[in-house]
Amino acid sequence: MSTAPAHETLGRPVNATGRPRGRSSPLGSRLSGLPWILPAIVLVIGLIYFPIGYLGYASTLNWNGFILSTPTSIGDANYAKMFGDPVFWNALWHTVFFYVITFSVQTFIGFTFAAVMHSRIRLGNLYKAIVFVPVVLAPATMAPVFRQIFDQFGQFNWLLSSIGLGSLTRPWLADPTTAMPVIMFITVWEWTGLTFVLYYAAMSQLSPEILEAARVDGAGNFRTLRSIVWPMCRGTTAALAVLGLIGALKTFDIPYLVTHGGPNHGTEFLGTYIYYTMAQGKHFGYAATLAIALLVLAVAGGVLLRISTSRSDKE
Amino acid sequence: MWGAKRPNSRRSASIGIVSVALLVASACSGSSSTAAPAATTAPGATAATTALTGDLTWWGWTPTADLATQMIAGFNKVYPNVKVTFVSKPIDSYDSVLGPAITSSKGPDVFNVAPGSLNGGVSQFAPGAIDMTPAITAALGSDWKTKVAPAGVDPMTVGGKLVGLQVGAVYSGWMWINQDIFDKYSLKAPTTLAEWKTVCSTLKTNGVGCFVQGAGQWAFDMDTFEAICENIAPDLYTQAAQGKVKWTDPRFAQAMANWKSLFDQGIMQDGAVGLQQYPDANNLFLSGKYAMVMMGSWYTSNTVKETMVNGMTAAGVTSPTPITIMPIPFPDLAGSGKTGTMFGDADYGLAVSAKSSQQEAAKAFAIWIATSQAGQQVVANTLNLIPALKGVGAQWDQINLVNPSKQLTALQAYQTTAVSSISQRLGDVSADLNTAFRDALIGMASGQKTADQALQGLQAVQDAAK
Repeated sequence: MSTAPAHETLGRPVNATGRPRGRSSPLGSRLSGLPWILPAIVLVIGLIYFPIGYLGYASTLNWNGFILSTPTSIGDANYAKMFGDPVFWNALWHTVFFYVITFSVQTFIGFTFAAVMHSRIRLGNLYKAIVFVPVVLAPATMAPVFRQIFDQFGQFNWLLSSIGLGSLTRPWLADPTTAMPVIMFITVWEWTGLTFVLYYAAMSQLSPEILEAARVDGAGNFRTLRSIVWPMCRGTTAALAVLGLIGALKTFDIPYLVTHGGPNHGTEFLGTYIYYTMAQGKHFGYAATLAIALLVLAVAGGVLLRISTSRSDKE
Repeated sequence: MWGAKRPNSRRSASIGIVSVALLVASACSGSSSTAAPAATTAPGATAATTALTGDLTWWGWTPTADLATQMIAGFNKVYPNVKVTFVSKPIDSYDSVLGPAITSSKGPDVFNVAPGSLNGGVSQFAPGAIDMTPAITAALGSDWKTKVAPAGVDPMTVGGKLVGLQVGAVYSGWMWINQDIFDKYSLKAPTTLAEWKTVCSTLKTNGVGCFVQGAGQWAFDMDTFEAICENIAPDLYTQAAQGKVKWTDPRFAQAMANWKSLFDQGIMQDGAVGLQQYPDANNLFLSGKYAMVMMGSWYTSNTVKETMVNGMTAAGVTSPTPITIMPIPFPDLAGSGKTGTMFGDADYGLAVSAKSSQQEAAKAFAIWIATSQAGQQVVANTLNLIPALKGVGAQWDQINLVNPSKQLTALQAYQTTAVSSISQRLGDVSADLNTAFRDALIGMASGQKTADQALQGLQAVQDAAK
């Protein structure tokens, strides 16, 4: 840190530690600023950290969640139960699988489409709008549509039959091995537009000189994309990776609305399992334990991804 | 006697008792929900009932909006100055939204509760409700327990507190068929598995679905499974739910095998576990795409022409011609010869929020719906529930059935069978047992669990509850 250059902040010279030069920072002067940030601290603690703390407390209770009911303290029993709960581990595995597949597919399609849109194609703005529209559609409105499409008598099976693939028709949502791919398909359909927009914006920031230099060096389209554009969009990819991980951990609406986490937990995610445990299983304490696990995983996953991308940036 | 009309003198007496009770209660409480007598009186109203004012909100997952409207309209004939707004809440999220709501005076004044642990579980919401014992005692007398169905007494009581007043009961165990389709293909209601397979084969040959169940919504799977258990040994399921018989009993293994056979032998539609009973299976049946469905006594309301038309419209049928549906006993899958039994309990009761600022008006509404002859008659005539008050039954001559010549006798026999049931439906099923049933029945149906694994899962929950 001592080798870091000094920065300029609001025109005032600062040293390597970030303090203004030529001026001491006694405790009194720090405390004098406290009242100015106190409202923000109260808001942050009250709105964010208190609920998290309360969630941690609730995770030690045997409680049905109704505020007028009396909870019983059971220590870490909910955590012991969670580690031995096969549905929890299933949900975790589904999350990992779901994340890897959806992130990879969305990144590939979003990046490719952004690159294509940067070339001069006719009706480009129309295509951009079409790709982005699913992002703004509420899952609640689309869920019945997808339930219908992938129903035994739905349009997808009709399409398969129409093109001579009738032997592949099946009730897609009734089998765990096909229900999960359907959930992933819907997620990719819904969120690829966002991936596209972010890559499109990132590519717009690339220096034309660099791309021109690559051309001069004889790089073709694919080589330019692979060796120039893709590495220079690494920051966007990292951001999407973190967002995707958090999104995967919080996945709830699509599996809940389309498959209810079933069949037989085949599309169960932490979000759906937490909801079921709380709302129908009436185990608020255990649901809080699962939520704490989700929080830890989200923070840990985000930090790990950040560290990973920081290292690759340095390399 | 179920189904018999009551003399008008009894009706007047009941209303009088309720009125006096409410006057006394109002005088004691000084509640702001009472006001000076209104200038006008509605038919059936007395000065006391007309004097009561209020603007109530009633939350429930049932009845449907049109049935609630009928019930409120009947109430307003006696209490013209108490406005009641029914707010229908989704059954799956009912507990989630009700919990916070009834801890506030801004929440509902009246809300649905139910026996057991599913939506609106009476034990869960007991702390948020007032004790209705004084109100029902004032309305029906100290021997009130003898005047209402037993399902509305103990199952609605928590720690000596009567949390909700049972509006009516529902029963299950029989199926419903589309009689028009059966007639079209000259089919008879199946009584055995072999006959059932033959019926399904004929229907499928003609491009009609046979039996539809939203097996992804396991509360209805539990109905089918209990019907199978009843076929093997009546009341077996209830005894197991009460811990008197182990779920690992060999008879349940047979029941599980019968349950699985519905999927393996082409009775259940393909992809059943991917569907919900509501709206999927209900819509498929009402739209005429399937000829049979597992529904309970609440489905009787669909024999009423207007209700059927509304249901078909909601199911996506344009310009619907109401179909004739008929209840039939669950076929004899086990070959035991024990068929035709049903099981049931209170569908819901009306509780009054302890936080309500209009408790007198709220009590008046709950008491009128659940204990008055007139209120229970409205309930009976909707055919949605079997009334809680003994002696009240549907006035068939005032009900516009879709096909009276075929339906009337069958429906009367159906209701007679229902009220003579001894087995419970959901009242003894804890939340954990309910979850275990989900895993057991859907796991079996999708081939991911063996019968032994499924039953051991159920028994493990039962053991843990001891």
